Amino acid sequence: MNSKIKNYLLSGIFLLIVAFFTTSYFIKGTSDFSDAERRALKQFPELSVKTLENGKFMTEFETFSLDQFPMRDTMRSIKSVFERFVFANKESNDLYYHKGHIASLLYPLDKTMLDYALERFNGLYDRYAKQGDAKVYFSMIPDKSAYLADEAGVLSVDYKEFIDYMIAGMPQDIEYIDISDLLSADDFYYTDQHWRQESITDVANAISDAMGNPLSDEYTKVTLETPFYGTYYHQAAIPGVSPDSISYLTNDTIEGCKVSLLDGYGKMAGSEMYVLSYAEGRDPYEMYLSGAQPLITIENPNANTDKQLVVFRDSFGSSIMPLLAESYAKITLCDIRYIAPADLANYVDFENCDDMLFLYSTLIVDAATALRK
Amino acid sequence: MLFSGIPFLYFFLPCVLILYYLAPKKLKNSVLLFTSLFFYAWGEQTKTVFLIISILLGYVFGLLIEKTKTRGKALPRLFLVLSVVQNLSFLCYFKYTDFFISNINALTGLSIPLLKIVLPIGISFYTFQMLSYTVDVYRGNVKAQKNIVNLGAYITMFPQLIAGPIVRYADVETQLEVRTHSFEKFSYGVRRFVLGLGKKILIANRLGELCDIFRESGEQSVVFYWIYAIAYMLHIYFDFSGYSDMAIGLGNFFGFKFIENFNYPFISKSVTEFWRRWHMSLGTWFRDYVYIPLGGNRVHFLRHIFNILVVWMLTGMWHGASWNFIIWGLYFAVLLTIEKLFLLKLLKKAPIINRIYLLVFVAISFIIFNADKGMSQAWTDIRAMFGFGGLPAISAETVYYIKCYAATLIVSIIGATPIPKMIFAKLCEIKNGRGVKVMNIVEAIVLPVMLIVCTAYLVDGSFNPFLYFRF
Repeated sequence: MNSKIKNYLLSGIFLLIVAFFTTSYFIKGTSDFSDAERRALKQFPELSVKTLENGKFMTEFETFSLDQFPMRDTMRSIKSVFERFVFANKESNDLYYHKGHIASLLYPLDKTMLDYALERFNGLYDRYAKQGDAKVYFSMIPDKSAYLADEAGVLSVDYKEFIDYMIAGMPQDIEYIDISDLLSADDFYYTDQHWRQESITDVANAISDAMGNPLSDEYTKVTLETPFYGTYYHQAAIPGVSPDSISYLTNDTIEGCKVSLLDGYGKMAGSEMYVLSYAEGRDPYEMYLSGAQPLITIENPNANTDKQLVVFRDSFGSSIMPLLAESYAKITLCDIRYIAPADLANYVDFENCDDMLFLYSTLIVDAATALRK
Repeated sequence: MLFSGIPFLYFFLPCVLILYYLAPKKLKNSVLLFTSLFFYAWGEQTKTVFLIISILLGYVFGLLIEKTKTRGKALPRLFLVLSVVQNLSFLCYFKYTDFFISNINALTGLSIPLLKIVLPIGISFYTFQMLSYTVDVYRGNVKAQKNIVNLGAYITMFPQLIAGPIVRYADVETQLEVRTHSFEKFSYGVRRFVLGLGKKILIANRLGELCDIFRESGEQSVVFYWIYAIAYMLHIYFDFSGYSDMAIGLGNFFGFKFIENFNYPFISKSVTEFWRRWHMSLGTWFRDYVYIPLGGNRVHFLRHIFNILVVWMLTGMWHGASWNFIIWGLYFAVLLTIEKLFLLKLLKKAPIINRIYLLVFVAISFIIFNADKGMSQAWTDIRAMFGFGGLPAISAETVYYIKCYAATLIVSIIGATPIPKMIFAKLCEIKNGRGVKVMNIVEAIVLPVMLIVCTAYLVDGSFNPFLYFRF
């Protein structure tokens, strides 16, 4: 190719690329929500003399132009590929890929977050457990990086230090249930941060055993046909990663349970243990106990005891709680990311609570500002 | 608005290109002026008024200086002084008022409240351009511009308005009146612009990330300090030279040829040579408008030293209203004086040592440059680099980040030398110049891919500020 042709070609390709992306903005229109990133996308900002004068329009237009960029997800994948294969970077956007798993980098240990979480947990204990008769238990769920990071050669917190710090910061009459050794990387989804329900029956047994209620039920595993692309899959935007499959465990006890959740009007409304329609939605993991909910009750009319359990939990609790239903007449699940601790008294019978469990993953404790005061 | 931002690349630039190329020849400078004012107002809103006032006053002073030349020296000199005072007072007010107040407070124990004045983007650059214009008119090097649109287009021209290079009026005087547009120029512009974009987004931003990681690290080590020093030095270079490349490329889109601002500074063998290759438009500006008027080197020894100190103190101050910048400037003044006295001769005889000397002293200079928490931070950093910080030689975290950023560091080190250019030239020479054809194909593929990859990085990330905007 002679230089004259190159000049035409280079100028032409440059102009074509610019023109393509510019016109694509107008052709594709705006999207309200990104399924991949699970967030609302910025819409065209308000145009007025005031927003022009104070620069708000310009600032928001920049965000709008990024959020609404044509083929945004493809562009994010291009970046991910470039980071991985050209820069040989082990991580991108704090996520790394190892042996089919996408995992989040938990580093360095941010003790201010741990202190924040401990303040919330101690506050719950002081408010609802200190004066009562309930036995209180605490268990930390190490995220999958605890089992992958060393092998993948990425930085990671010292999980023992992390968990020991949490145990030391909790009230001393609480019993800690150690489940760390019962888990491995493959007990978690490849493309999501959560654990697989079918892989944690031993964890459910250990927790239930520790609380004095050994489990005896057998389960039937039902695997859904819908491929499960977890949150990490979309965040990492690594092309070519295979989806997970999602399963749930059921039996007569689970099917006989009555599930209720707090609706938007402050009333408890009927629901299901597994909402299969959610498996078709943007986050299939939400099929377990309807996903993010401030308050859920599971009543088991066939329970072999009349004991009641209150659980302070995060999303990991959604998939393990159906397995504990066998031993309790009633389980109440509280997620203080979505309800203020003080408001729980309006809905939860703490006086008749026999057992209380704090069950949290290291991921949530590391992002403890999500927990309400 | 940043060149390396989606609003610029896919909204502003296409609109300007369409308007500019549709406009008749007579109106092209008007298009440049008004789109540049829009570009500036996008980031600065109401402060655009100060830019417009500067242009209007510069235009009037330029004409007055020229018109009064026939009536002796006093009036032109008066108008020049007024122009210099006006420009410097704007710069001093916005950039140095709070610095002076805080120093007065520190010296006297007073507590005069700071005015918290926000610096208008690019004021250091356009002030120097305006000064060069009126001084050159006074000196008779250029004629006063009669057309305010042309002068306005020169000062505000968005490719070089906010972070240089400091284009002098003399360099574009003819181009403002007559310039050609061709695919050759446009294609060269694409090449420079995309390479500059790549330098900024794919290298400078990643090196910036590494520097941030170092600063937030709880496991620092001596090696990590050196990695940081190298990464920061390269980060500044790729950030600023990338911006200059984009500016030069954009200039070519509109038929202008701007001066080069960098010439592989890290291959220098002395600090004297380094400053002939680093931020050349600023160096030559201070040489022509401060150093030589002070007498340059044609004065007695002590006066010569004084001239060097003044120029470098001002160079430091130009970079920021903070003591670390002033000390950074004076640090170079001391090194340049020592080189002039005896070191330059010795360095010429020490082929490898001279390069190590240059890189180590420049790395230290940028530690001072980046000490935004004051000189105590710089001192702590420099001590730690040389093993006096009580830190381990290396840590697991250091090894990890070396591995993560090895590719970027290697590419940036090689990219900061003329090696890629030499390889490109050699490949073009293959088979009696037939290699050019192959390299033309490579260029036509690689540059568009680089543009798309840069866009992908922009879409995915938000960390993107240019360092030289704050100057």
